[in-house]
Amino acid sequence: MSTAATWVLPRLEKLLGSSRVRSDATTLADYEVDGKKPAAVLYPGSVEEVAAAIGFAAAEKLAVIPTGGRSKLRIGAPPSRYDLAIDLTQLNRVVAYDAGDLTVGVQPGVRFGELSRVLGEQKQIVPLSTAFSNVATIGGIVATNAVSPLRYAYGSARDFVLGIEIVTGDGVIAKSGGSVVKNVTGYDLHKLLIGSHGTLGVITRINFKTFPWPAAQQTFIATFADIEGALAYSRAIRQSPLEPRLVELLDGQASRLADLTAALDSRVVDSQRQHLPKEGWAAVVSVAGKSSVVERHAKDLAMFAEQAHAATFSVVDETVSGELLSNVREFVSRALKTYSGATVVRVNALPSAIRLLVTRLKDVSRRNAIVSACVIRAGGVIYYVLLPEDNAASRLAQAAKELMEAALGEKGSERPMIEWCPAGLKEKVNVWGPASEDLLLMIRVKKIFDPHGIMSPGRFAAGI
Amino acid sequence: MYRKRQEWCGCVDRSKATIVTQDAKLDATPQIMDRKLIGDLEQLLGTRAVLSQAADLQLYEYDGSVEQAKPDCIVFPKTTQEVSEIARLAGKYGVPLVGRGAGTGLSGGAIARHGGIVVVFSRMNRILDIDYENQRAVVQPGVVNLDLTCAVEHAGLYFAPDPSSQKACTIGGNVAENSGGPHTLAYGVTTNHVTGLELVLPDGDIVRIGGKTFDAPGYDLTGLMVGSEGTLAIVTEITVRLSRKPEAVKTLLAIFETVEDATQTVVEITARAITPAACEMFDALTLRAIEAFVHAGFPLDSAAVLLIEVEGLREAVEAQEAEVTEACRLHRAREVRKARDAAERDLLWKGRKNAFGAIGRLAPNAYVQDGVIPRTKLPETLRYVDKVSQKYGLRISNVFHAGDGNLHPIILFDQRVPGQFEKVVGAAKEIMKFCVDVGGTLSGEHGIGMEKNELMPLLFSDDDLELMKRVRDAFNPSGRLNPGKILPIGKGCGEVRILRTPALTATPA
Repeated sequence: MSTAATWVLPRLEKLLGSSRVRSDATTLADYEVDGKKPAAVLYPGSVEEVAAAIGFAAAEKLAVIPTGGRSKLRIGAPPSRYDLAIDLTQLNRVVAYDAGDLTVGVQPGVRFGELSRVLGEQKQIVPLSTAFSNVATIGGIVATNAVSPLRYAYGSARDFVLGIEIVTGDGVIAKSGGSVVKNVTGYDLHKLLIGSHGTLGVITRINFKTFPWPAAQQTFIATFADIEGALAYSRAIRQSPLEPRLVELLDGQASRLADLTAALDSRVVDSQRQHLPKEGWAAVVSVAGKSSVVERHAKDLAMFAEQAHAATFSVVDETVSGELLSNVREFVSRALKTYSGATVVRVNALPSAIRLLVTRLKDVSRRNAIVSACVIRAGGVIYYVLLPEDNAASRLAQAAKELMEAALGEKGSERPMIEWCPAGLKEKVNVWGPASEDLLLMIRVKKIFDPHGIMSPGRFAAGI
Repeated sequence: MYRKRQEWCGCVDRSKATIVTQDAKLDATPQIMDRKLIGDLEQLLGTRAVLSQAADLQLYEYDGSVEQAKPDCIVFPKTTQEVSEIARLAGKYGVPLVGRGAGTGLSGGAIARHGGIVVVFSRMNRILDIDYENQRAVVQPGVVNLDLTCAVEHAGLYFAPDPSSQKACTIGGNVAENSGGPHTLAYGVTTNHVTGLELVLPDGDIVRIGGKTFDAPGYDLTGLMVGSEGTLAIVTEITVRLSRKPEAVKTLLAIFETVEDATQTVVEITARAITPAACEMFDALTLRAIEAFVHAGFPLDSAAVLLIEVEGLREAVEAQEAEVTEACRLHRAREVRKARDAAERDLLWKGRKNAFGAIGRLAPNAYVQDGVIPRTKLPETLRYVDKVSQKYGLRISNVFHAGDGNLHPIILFDQRVPGQFEKVVGAAKEIMKFCVDVGGTLSGEHGIGMEKNELMPLLFSDDDLELMKRVRDAFNPSGRLNPGKILPIGKGCGEVRILRTPALTATPA
């Protein structure tokens, strides 16, 4: 595009106004994706401007990548082409909020923190608090289907997104779903947009179901000598009537990354102050509700912990529980910050498959002599993170490949992907894993939404 | 028994309804079933698995809706492979292909609008796998909804979607229509419980989408398929999530002197974010009909009742029960009764689940509506429904999922009275339009089918519908899969359809 820039820029400025187009080197560097920079960054201020920009790009066959907080732009395969970034942070309004109906309609550029603040005034939430929550926009969270620890209790975006408006790859504004909590009118096209990584169109509005923010909360940490104990504990919780908001299992390294020690030290109920063993696991459980509900959880959780031979069982002091939960939620972002080569494999696994799968994954990192950390989120999403020292970079690609193979070979583990890795690794390993049999149907969907192939080309599986 | 009526068109802005689909083409050239195709099907499936005699076909002209159309032949496959072969034959002969479960649907989803082959799944009714540890089951589409729950309840599990027809309706049908039910208020509709599907595409290809876990990377094709009413593919296997039965359940019956008080209570409960598992409302007309039918002790002199269920952890249920009771009292509930035991609870629910049948006894004909509104608009919407009732001189009974704003006004009438059915259509249209105008939608759980496809432009723009059509055409390029459903056909007002007047056999959710 660099050669095209000269004639494209004036036309974009004419189309959107010069204040909505930037092309200085500093700005362009901020929007780099896997080593590619756009020729211009657009800041549309309305849905119509998004449609105009995409329509222009479609006519000129310019490749577009939509962006929000830019915290998750590294996820996905490298773009095959990249001409324009469309920054959606100017579309940052909560458009409709009917607190009495527990529904809210928002533009994609609303930062998650801002949405939480607005909903918080009515003691409500959208349960999508994920990593990078201080910068992430709601559009980006939905477009990447980021996994919140709260998925344990509330499900994922597909369970509470009521409707979406998009601009398709040919510049047309279209919507599906609606803003009421129950709706079977027309095709649920909005479900396709969740996790589409900008390859189908630009999300311009999302309607959510909201949930009450519970009155009282309590967080518990149990520690175990091994994964068997942690899994026995989480299984007991799963098969009980308890209704925790989140259950996160962290291995020793992940616990250190999430800085659980302070919380462990703050108040240990059974008085045997004990740091987490290096090979051990910690289970963080958070519950909410009336005091009677919280007390019941405390009682049963202590019992389950004991039955699972927990080394410690602690009630986290209220003064640190917020920070603790934030650290657990931010586990991936903390790993990426600390280790420049951090490589994150994400695998969906059925509960029965987790133990063997994690054992296999740990074998891989041991064999390649790379330190690893593991978090089991929301009962079945495994984040397995390689934390290479600088001298381990050469072994990283091999280890990542082996992790994918191990995850693919396990019964009850599905569709692993390398969510994060150094850009260079993407040339050696397919981050999306091998093609699945439904890929042909996905290609059909892609062609409908983006007939000119301009939306984040190449970023998704099999070159979509 | 049969009558003609005009297409619903007064409420549709025809200037917008410009989408001409391939359905129209099919419509223009009615299919005449080739004897040779029947022969091929018989060879494939055996003669006993193929019906093509007029008397047999007549049984499959209807479902639970007010619609009717004659299929050309009925087939009963036993395997996915057979479904695939059937699809290939349908392609070869260029005839429509329509899936059918128990035929309890309420929007004509299982009706062969343009004739063709109806694929009935009654022989594909096996539960293929129950994975207790991971709370998953793999079922064939013909498995009856309640049968799955019966198969797993010994382990404390159940299948959460609970349409009122759950004793008869099939999980395949639930997937096609994205069915709901009273308890979807807390647990979500069918789509929230389906993790993976096996599909037969119109060209006969067999593809698996999704899996046993939720939210795999990639486009959520499963989410697209559920609720697509058999227009994108034929589902031949379904992986569902099983839910854990709650530890405690409390069922309350709150009795009100006015409909207004009852609806305000629902607003209050929602705003307080109490989130009961179910919150159903019946008005006086419904109450009297139900009581005469089930004798559950529903008060005959009240204006409305709310049937509210809270469930979950014992301690949470106690707290919720107190909050619900307080909300009811605040809005002048005359009485809040508590079901003392399972038998009492079952009796109350029997009243609810048989409400449509009971109402059927009030008039020769009844037409069930299905609209959704924001819950904050519940009082004004019921006032509006009452106005419509008075305007048209038609009795309208209200029994519905108040907790999620899913209305089911039932219009009572007598088709023998000249002109009355036209009034019913007019009243139904006005109610639907009001739902959309206050920010709601055309269907909460019954589907669009051939009942409301011409109303879609009330809610969606040309561009919205064009995108839906393109998606439909991408999966169903020849338009042979369940033609004439969901999307407007875009014909003029002059179209005359032959319709069966509303039957009393409907057992909606």
